[in-house]
Amino acid sequence: MSIDYLLHESSVGYAIFQVIHQADTVGNRLREVQDSVQDLAKFGKMVKLVSFAPFSGAAQALENANEVSEGLASDFLLSLLEVNLPQSGKKNKITLGVADKNLAGAIKGAFPGLECETGDTSEIVMDMLRGIRQHAHKLLKQLQERDVERAQLGLGHAYSRARVKFSVQKNDNHII
Amino acid sequence: VRGGAKGGAKTIIEPYTRFPGVFLARGKEDMLVTKNLTPGESVYGEKRISVESSSIDKSITNGDATPATKTEYRVWNPFRSKLAAGILGGLDEIFIKPGAKVLYLGAASGTSVSHVADIVGPTGTVFAVEFSHRSGRDLINMATHRTNVIPIVEDARHPLKYRMLVSMVDTIFADVAQPDQARIVGINAHMYLKVGGGVVVSIKANCIDSTAPAEQVFAREVQKMKEERIKPFEQVTLEPFERDHCIVTGKYVRSMT
Repeated sequence: MSIDYLLHESSVGYAIFQVIHQADTVGNRLREVQDSVQDLAKFGKMVKLVSFAPFSGAAQALENANEVSEGLASDFLLSLLEVNLPQSGKKNKITLGVADKNLAGAIKGAFPGLECETGDTSEIVMDMLRGIRQHAHKLLKQLQERDVERAQLGLGHAYSRARVKFSVQKNDNHII
Repeated sequence: VRGGAKGGAKTIIEPYTRFPGVFLARGKEDMLVTKNLTPGESVYGEKRISVESSSIDKSITNGDATPATKTEYRVWNPFRSKLAAGILGGLDEIFIKPGAKVLYLGAASGTSVSHVADIVGPTGTVFAVEFSHRSGRDLINMATHRTNVIPIVEDARHPLKYRMLVSMVDTIFADVAQPDQARIVGINAHMYLKVGGGVVVSIKANCIDSTAPAEQVFAREVQKMKEERIKPFEQVTLEPFERDHCIVTGKYVRSMT
């Protein structure tokens, strides 16, 4: 199955890429994708950024990180997909590559005509998403090199603090 | 700061030749040390050693410009850190060096992670994953002082959950002490490890299978890593620092053809 679009979720926002180049046979595709992924010059010709929707701030980033980790599609994500993906119908099936099968399910629930492939079902999706992750700061042209990491740092702390149920500041009293 | 291992004696810091970012403090006893990213602070009560920078040549401070001030190092105890034990045990390669991005699975309270953060330095990043909330709290606190550590309190069995927090990495270090450790390392590598990236896994035989002899457990784990497309590089026992422990390293070869 050919993949038409890819969804990349990052600490700075969501991005939708269009798959421009696909080789013919499955074997070739794997090998070609895997080699090309290493090289930005090659990989940059295989995918094209359709839209990058940055989070408006730390609160929105955290909210979306929590939803993504639970396999839920936020309204922010759904509206991004609605605006940027062409209408998918019986004659003109559009396939979106998504990392997580739960999120893929949530997206299909909102857009019944859309097909989804995940990293589990398609090695190509896995390889292409790896490529986007590897070259993210170059492919998302509005970003500076360290932007993604700075956002990861803030988001990592916020996400983890929320996971640790009891206060991060306070020490437990040990009763001996 | 207490000056060196014993009062008055001059301690000399020299690079640990095989591993950039790792140093040896030569005094009465030789000690493994890392350059403190947050001078003036200990993370877990470890000893700090301060030396005049002017006495160190630039090549061993990762090429940093070194004004004539003091540079501080933290003692890295091989009885408390399996990576330190592996280094002293004779590993040829740890795939962790200045500037590297490391995904650290099983970060616990972050004591070992803090030394890895020292090694990768300000241009590197450590993505530190720990599932236990109790340890995770200490990990978060440690990370507030070290901005190259991204704390991730989440289950390493489900790498998809933290995909918004992690970049592609050069190296995966794992000390998760779970029976399915090789699989955990594999699924994380498939998502986040660059092709040709390094894998360093600490294996406690007891945690995998407490009935089989350690050597047999290690051999089986190496086989499982191969199945996860990790080409084994070397295996080093952690004796005398840990019993029935070893570190296995390898390289991620993604392509199956």
